[in-house]
Amino acid sequence: MAQAERIDRPTRWDAAFDPDMTDADFEMLMARPEIKSIESDAFPKTVSLDGVVRYDMRVNHYNAGDIVVREGDYGNSAFLILQGELVIARDPGIPADQLGRVKADRQGIGQRIANIWRNSWVPEVRDTDRYGQRTGASGPQSGKRGAFLQDVPAIMREQDTIILKEGTLFGELAALGRVPRSTTIFAEHPAVVMEIRWQGLRDIMKYDRECRRKINELYREAALESYLRQIEILDDVDSEDFSEIAKHCLFETYGTFDWNVTFRRGKPDEPVIAREGDYPDGLLVIRAGFARVSKEYGNGRRTLTYLGAGDMYGLEELYHAWKNPDSGDLSLNCTISALGYVDVIRIPVTVLEEHVFPNMRQPSGSNLTLLDRTVADDALLEWAIDKRYMNGTQSMVIDMDKCVRCDDCVRACSATHGGNPRFRRDGQIFDHWMVANSCMHCKDPVCMIGCPTGAIHRSIETGTVLINDDTCIGCATCANSCPYSNIVMVPIRNKQGVPLIDTAESGQPIVKATKCDLCAGRPGGPACVRACPHDALSRVDFRDFHLEAMD
Amino acid sequence: MLNLAHRLVLPGVLGIVLFAGLWYAADRTYMQLGNPKILTGWSLFGLMIFLALFNTRKKLAAFNLGRAKTWLALHVAGGVLAVAVFLFHTGTLWPLGAYEQFLTALFWLVSLTGILGLAIITVYPRRLTDSGLEIIYERVPAEISEIRQLAEAEVIACTEEAGQPTLSDHYEETMDWYFRRPRFFINHLVGGVQAAAWIRSQGDAVRRYLSDKEAPYLDRLLALAERKAIVDKHYACQDVMRKWLVAHIPLSVALIGMSVWHLLLIHVYSQ
Repeated sequence: MAQAERIDRPTRWDAAFDPDMTDADFEMLMARPEIKSIESDAFPKTVSLDGVVRYDMRVNHYNAGDIVVREGDYGNSAFLILQGELVIARDPGIPADQLGRVKADRQGIGQRIANIWRNSWVPEVRDTDRYGQRTGASGPQSGKRGAFLQDVPAIMREQDTIILKEGTLFGELAALGRVPRSTTIFAEHPAVVMEIRWQGLRDIMKYDRECRRKINELYREAALESYLRQIEILDDVDSEDFSEIAKHCLFETYGTFDWNVTFRRGKPDEPVIAREGDYPDGLLVIRAGFARVSKEYGNGRRTLTYLGAGDMYGLEELYHAWKNPDSGDLSLNCTISALGYVDVIRIPVTVLEEHVFPNMRQPSGSNLTLLDRTVADDALLEWAIDKRYMNGTQSMVIDMDKCVRCDDCVRACSATHGGNPRFRRDGQIFDHWMVANSCMHCKDPVCMIGCPTGAIHRSIETGTVLINDDTCIGCATCANSCPYSNIVMVPIRNKQGVPLIDTAESGQPIVKATKCDLCAGRPGGPACVRACPHDALSRVDFRDFHLEAMD
Repeated sequence: MLNLAHRLVLPGVLGIVLFAGLWYAADRTYMQLGNPKILTGWSLFGLMIFLALFNTRKKLAAFNLGRAKTWLALHVAGGVLAVAVFLFHTGTLWPLGAYEQFLTALFWLVSLTGILGLAIITVYPRRLTDSGLEIIYERVPAEISEIRQLAEAEVIACTEEAGQPTLSDHYEETMDWYFRRPRFFINHLVGGVQAAAWIRSQGDAVRRYLSDKEAPYLDRLLALAERKAIVDKHYACQDVMRKWLVAHIPLSVALIGMSVWHLLLIHVYSQ
């Protein structure tokens, strides 16, 4: 039997956000009033404020035209302007072709041929030499990407801009909410910016109450402003009315940020946002998360649909009541409840009646039309929501009426991942659909909560949830968080096939988190889908899939 | 998700066009005093190579060699086309020479196993889904062992509680055979209900001798037997779904090998 090799167990701060941070930078950051005002005594020894500054922050220097964050990118960090100013191009926005998106590394034909021989019969082999050269933690480095705008003066001339001044914190919305950046921010003149990865921001918020209050306040204000601008019915509202609407809007959250914990225990929380029969006091706009729309039916509740980010509830009822004040019935037709963690913007009915409805066309459709479907039609939807599958954007669904259980999909996955399949052809079954145990690349990837190094992250280019093996420390936080048990911890081996164990006395195996990466970097999409001869396997967003399955 | 019949439309049309083209080319060759058998023979060989490439595509999953579902549709349509081209080439179902007969036998065996495989992959998946249980093939032995242990535990508990060996004797004499390993393999393949009938008859046979205390144990034992019948059905169907290729692929390789020799002989002796 082969002997085990001992290596140091990876720890959270093995991989600094900026491994090249100088002492001068560190001292400069520590001397900043924003950092100085944080209560360092409140931090535990294992997560000291010094450590957060040293390992979770970096100082970025931008030249004129450099892009700091790009609209649509998934970011894992927030920013604080240390010197200079930055610019938001608000309206009409910078065209996508000027934003210089970076293409993901693609596996060439030569590399794929080489992989035929490289794929090992020994499971989970790693090149351990790479672990000694860990650099940036979260793969793509959004703040240091190097993308820049060609013609800044023209942009400044043509765009409606907002200037962000020294001391402004931004990007916390995407960092904490796991949502894409809502706008592009760039430097018009040279600027110095501190970037903090979200794990550090989370820790500061956890241990410093005042900082938490400030960030929450900022987070709410920024969310409200940016999201109101994306609501279609507010498109034609003039800026004066818009300010009035923004002033009166309520920003609410339901459920817990780590909803996966109660879900995994089999006792999912589902707090009610608005109850059937209650008076509708405002339009509800879902900013993040999911909400169930249900109605009393027999002895239970029947799910009519679910709402995701950008969806609204109550518009038809409120408009109808405003248009027909004598119709009498003003109560809500359905109950809306939070499936996990939900951010909601509530626009009060009085504001709508004064500033929105007079200039708006009658909205079409109503949730009640969904009652025309049979209970059997909706059984799949009901099941999928109970299992929280609506969270998945790329769920692996297998049509068992077509699947011949040949495992060609598993073999294809294995062939493209060094001989190690990244999913199990097993899972929950409804009727003839199986949702296999494969990463669903969730809209709300709770697996990212708590990753100490940011090894699990969203691909900036595609939004795919990926694990950076070099910086994964094997803490299993992601695997324990995944509500669907789709992340697997595996003991790893070196290139000679020797199992790796900790240098510490315990000698425990070194493990890494593994999951489906949608065959990132390989042209043609996931190999499992391409390998299925019977067209039984597909990657689906459940909202589309439900409609397709009904047909 | 288009089913196979829909996916076969375009390859089917393509196959008809190719066959018509081959017919026309062979006719022209004949009219020009050439040997159309050479043309049809090489076409058949090329087609067989193309059909064999489907298996190669499966092995090279990391390459962009097209989606396997397209390959399968082309494989099925190509298989039908191969039969037509074969008949066109030989002009008979069964030729005269010994070598040609061997070659023809291989061809028909490959075709038959292909048709059988097509029937299997069309019928069995739905039958397994309808069983209401999904079992990974490799887990079948463990599942049967688990069911057997539960069954034996029920029998022992029954004997201990009732103080009568009736159920345990019956288990040992008859039902132990059933719980030992997968049973009614062929019957499950043809969609029969022999297993259910056997379980029912075994239950009926012993029930009259059981006390009220023992009857619930028998009910639970029969429930376990019914669960095992589903496991057996999965074993039988999944086993055949995997193993029909063990006949189809080696026969195909042998056919291609023999065809190469056939081509060599034809070209050597036709000079």
